[in-house]
Parts: sequence; C-alpha cells; structure tokens
Amino acid sequence: MNRAAQAALLLFLLLFLFAPFLVNPGLVFLAGFAMIQIVFALSWNLLFSYAGLISFGHAAFFGIGAYISAVALRDGYEIHFVLLILVCAAFGALAALLVALVVLRRASGVQFAVLTLALSQLIVVLIGYSSLLGHDEGIAAIPRPAIDFGLFTVDMNQPLTSYYFVLAVCLLAVGLMWLLAKGHVGRAMRAVRIDAERAAFVGIDVWRVRVIAFTISGAFAAVAGAMLAPWSQIITPDYVNWLQSAQPLFAALLGGAGFFWGPVVGVIGLSGINYLTRTFAGLSEVLVGASLILVVLVAPQGILGALKQLARRRGGRTPGGHA
Amino acid sequence: MTTLYLYAIFNGLVLGAAIFLVAAGLTLAFGIMKIFNFAHGAFFMIGAYVAYAVAGQEASSLPLFLAAAFIAALVVGAIGVVTDLAIFRRLGNVPHEYTLMAAFGIMLFCTGAARIAFGQSVHAIYPPQAIGGFSEIGLPVSHYGLFIIAAGIVTFLALEIGLNRIWFGKLIFAVARDPWMADVVGLRVQRLKLASVAISFALAGLAGGILVANQSLSLDLGHSYLLLAFCAVIVGGLGSIRGAFIASVIFGLAESLNSVMLPTMPGIGSYALLIILVLIRPQGIYPELSQ
Repeated sequence: MNRAAQAALLLFLLLFLFAPFLVNPGLVFLAGFAMIQIVFALSWNLLFSYAGLISFGHAAFFGIGAYISAVALRDGYEIHFVLLILVCAAFGALAALLVALVVLRRASGVQFAVLTLALSQLIVVLIGYSSLLGHDEGIAAIPRPAIDFGLFTVDMNQPLTSYYFVLAVCLLAVGLMWLLAKGHVGRAMRAVRIDAERAAFVGIDVWRVRVIAFTISGAFAAVAGAMLAPWSQIITPDYVNWLQSAQPLFAALLGGAGFFWGPVVGVIGLSGINYLTRTFAGLSEVLVGASLILVVLVAPQGILGALKQLARRRGGRTPGGHA
Repeated sequence: MTTLYLYAIFNGLVLGAAIFLVAAGLTLAFGIMKIFNFAHGAFFMIGAYVAYAVAGQEASSLPLFLAAAFIAALVVGAIGVVTDLAIFRRLGNVPHEYTLMAAFGIMLFCTGAARIAFGQSVHAIYPPQAIGGFSEIGLPVSHYGLFIIAAGIVTFLALEIGLNRIWFGKLIFAVARDPWMADVVGLRVQRLKLASVAISFALAGLAGGILVANQSLSLDLGHSYLLLAFCAVIVGGLGSIRGAFIASVIFGLAESLNSVMLPTMPGIGSYALLIILVLIRPQGIYPELSQ
C-alpha cells in the first residue's frame, strides 16, 4: 500500500463521512448503497484472495440477510434492530457452514464455483414460490426502524440519522473484516490459498480453515443484506441472482484482488461509471464492460496494483520481487 | 396421461437439442482456452439478431432461414476472430480468474452494444412456413421442434467426426491438451487457437440463427440458455462434446418433465439435478484428461 492509495482511501472515507452535506439526496442514497456493496464485496474477497475460493453464489447469503431483515421489519416483530442484524449474520453463517460442509468435500475450482451458483439460483427459484417473501416482485415499502440504545434513540426515518447508522455499521463490519484478515485466521487462510499442501505440512488444518473462511464470509454478506432492507426499502429476487453474485467479483478484480482495500476502490469506480452513464441505455454496460477488459489487459493487478507498480517505478527500485 | 408424458419427453428432447447447440461452442472454447466464456450467451443473442435482420420476422422460405443462420454464424465467427486477436490472445500470462473477468467484460460490452444498436423492444419471430406446422400422431408434434432436434444431432455428429476423425480436429486436440508440446513439434499454436475460437463463436451464432424462432427475441435471450448450457458443460465434463450432448438431453428432459410432474414448482428440476450430479461425479461424465 503506497502513499497515493492511502491518501485516496482517506479521501473516500472523508467523502462518505460528509456526503450528506456535500451532495444531493439522490447521491447520498447511492453512497449508502455503495457502502453496503463494499461490505458485500469485501466479504467475497475475504474468500477469494485470502482463502482462494471462488464463490459464484455469494448473493444467496446477501439475500438471506436481506429477506430476514425485510420480513422482520415489514411484519413489525418487536426485535431490536441491532439484534436483528446479528440474527441475520447468524443465519448467513449457518447457511454458509452447511454449504461449505457439503460442497467443499466434493468439489473445488470450477465445480465449486458452479455448485455455489446453482445453489443460489435454487434459492431464487424458491423465493419465487413463497408468498411470505413476495414471489418475483419482492418485498416493497419496508418500514425503517427506530432503534433504542437506552441513552439515545436512532430513528432511521430521518435521512441523516439513517445514513450515519448505515455508515457506522458498515465501518464496524469493514473494521472487523480487516482485523480478521490481518490476524491469525487471515494468515492461515493466505497460507492455504498460496499452497494448500505446504500449509497442511506446517500444521494448518486446510479443510477447517476453508470452512471457517466460508462461514465468516457468509455472515458478513448477510450483514450487508440486512442493512440493505431498511436502506433501500425494497428487496427483490434480483439481489439474489447470479448477476448480483458477480458484482463483488467485478469490484475486487477492478480494484485489485490482492489488496484488502481493492474491492472498496472497485465498488466506488463501478458506482461512478453507473452514475455517470445512468441516462444512456446500454452505454453504462458498454463502459463497465470495456473498463473490465481494459483492466485485465493493461493492469491485471487492478487499480491498486497499477498504482503500486507506478510508485515502485518512480521510486527507482527494480520491479518484480515478492509482492 | 401417457400422451402428456410423451409430449413432455418430446419437448424435453427439443429443449435438450437447443441447449446442446449453445453448449457445443461453450465446451469447445473451454477445451481450447481453459476459460469459461461468459460472453457466449451474448454472442448467441447477437447471432439471433443478425438472423432476424437478414430474414425478417418470418423467413419466406426454409433455405432463406438456413442462409440467415449461416450468415449469423459467419458474422459472429468474424467477431470471434477479432475478439481473439484483441483480447484472448493477450491473456496467456494472467491468472484464470482474470480471463473470466475479461469474458464477463465482453458479455457486458456486447449486451450494452446490442441495446444501443437494436433497442429495448421484444420481437416475436416465427419459423418459415415449411417447418411452421404440426403433425398429429397421437400427440401434436411441431415441425420446428423436429427441425431443432435434427440441427442438434447434425451439429453433434459434425463436431464428433470433425474433432475425432479428421486431421484438423486432431491438431486442435493436440493444442488443447498441451500447447507447449504442440508448439515444440511444429504446430502453429496461435493460428489453431484462433481457428477454434472462431469455430466456437460461429457455433454460438449458428445456434442463435436456428433458435431465433423458438422464443421471443430480446436482449435477455442470452441468459435464458446460458445457465442451462453451463450446467450441461459442467455435468458433461469440461471440454467434452460427447458429454455435453448427453448432459444437454438430460437437462432438457429434466426441465420439461419438471413442468409435468411438479407443475407448482417450475424451474427447480434442473438446478436440483445439477447439484446432485456434480456432488456425485464432480469431474463430469467424460472428464477432461489433461487437467
């Protein structure tokens, strides 16, 4: 991580912190949406660049969180919203654990990707049957909760409070993931990704590390989903299908999958392109597609990787060596 | 009751042949390039639009319909040549995940370009008069359905014979198995790769031209077959034409019988089947030997 990237990340943080005072409500909504996508993309990247597993059905866990949160809010269960987020995380973790226990034993690589894809599409089909979950139309007009913290109350019906609540939860989730990634578990995951056989040799239980990584990742994806329900106030099966599963992949690879902060840069870049081209039908797809191709051809390490290389060249050190 | 099942089985075979037409190019591309070409569905859609542009809403004769399909194959094959020269060829040194992203990028690019070029509207396309009718043999059999089955079988036989019995197919196999060794013994690896990528894309275009009348033509056309074709390629064994054919028929029948046996739960059969089949046999029906 060089100084330019650090400065850019700090700038992004400041922009997110002061967004409600800088831009119009439409953009503030998109900023909140981007923060949720960042948590989702980071949870996916935890799996991809730390444990070396490509999940193509990650939207399933996002959807579990989103639908549990949406149903609980719509039907007015008397449950503290913070507790609800934890419940969503628990269900996401449980679902991910079950999937990991069944799928990881049998498949790896492409087969693993396709199995996770099939499982998530199965969930989309099942949501379509369920009238509790609103069939294909999804759940609309989800009320925003007022959260009682004893000393003070966070009322999500007020735009400003609700934005800062989402920001706080997202920062907390990102911070937790950062600690996990940099800590003991993250290092074990990295060892498994780089060389599973050697990791097993030095005493790391490869299978267990992979299951743990998948479970943690599912929990954080569910947290991101749980935040989306009160923020966007509408949840549809589109948030569960394979195109949503592909979003973190785009973001991580665009920003730089080898870096913890890569997906953050990627999500912001993608949101920017989507916002700037929103009025031209088709143009946004052309631009996102072209930039993905360009990144692969010109800077296969992503934006952060390209910045790092640039800094290294300017610093006069010899390129190459270990990253 | 029997009639209903027979009818479902016929429809399943039609769907299976349709899935195979899409899966054939996909599995060929995987065998050669070792990447999942997500853009395949988009090129299939472009092929359908090209055929529509050539033959119109209802092709006046069967030869015109076929000619439109072949023109679609040529156009999409040409796009394939450009794509290989501009993108795939340069991806030799980057990890597989990134080639996947390039394919995704191409898919988005093509979908967006098609949205700009052809607009958002949905077109209803009809098969030409000669194969538009029905025959009554206890159950109604659509001639167009028979035509799709025939096209699927012809494509299968052409690829099977072309790849296994003809010198050119053997060269492609050599490159797919071990590009480095193929280079050492003096094959022109880049050129052969280019040819096979062009064939793979041309197959997508051909499938688009043939299947254009099977359902309404819209920008989402790519997605509808792509997922099932993916399932077929995985279950068949990555890179295997024969496996893709068998798996396509299995998924076609599963999808069709699902609507008869579980009418309240549409669309669940193929995913459930995929999960079961991959868990039982992750390497596929005919596993790729070089992996």
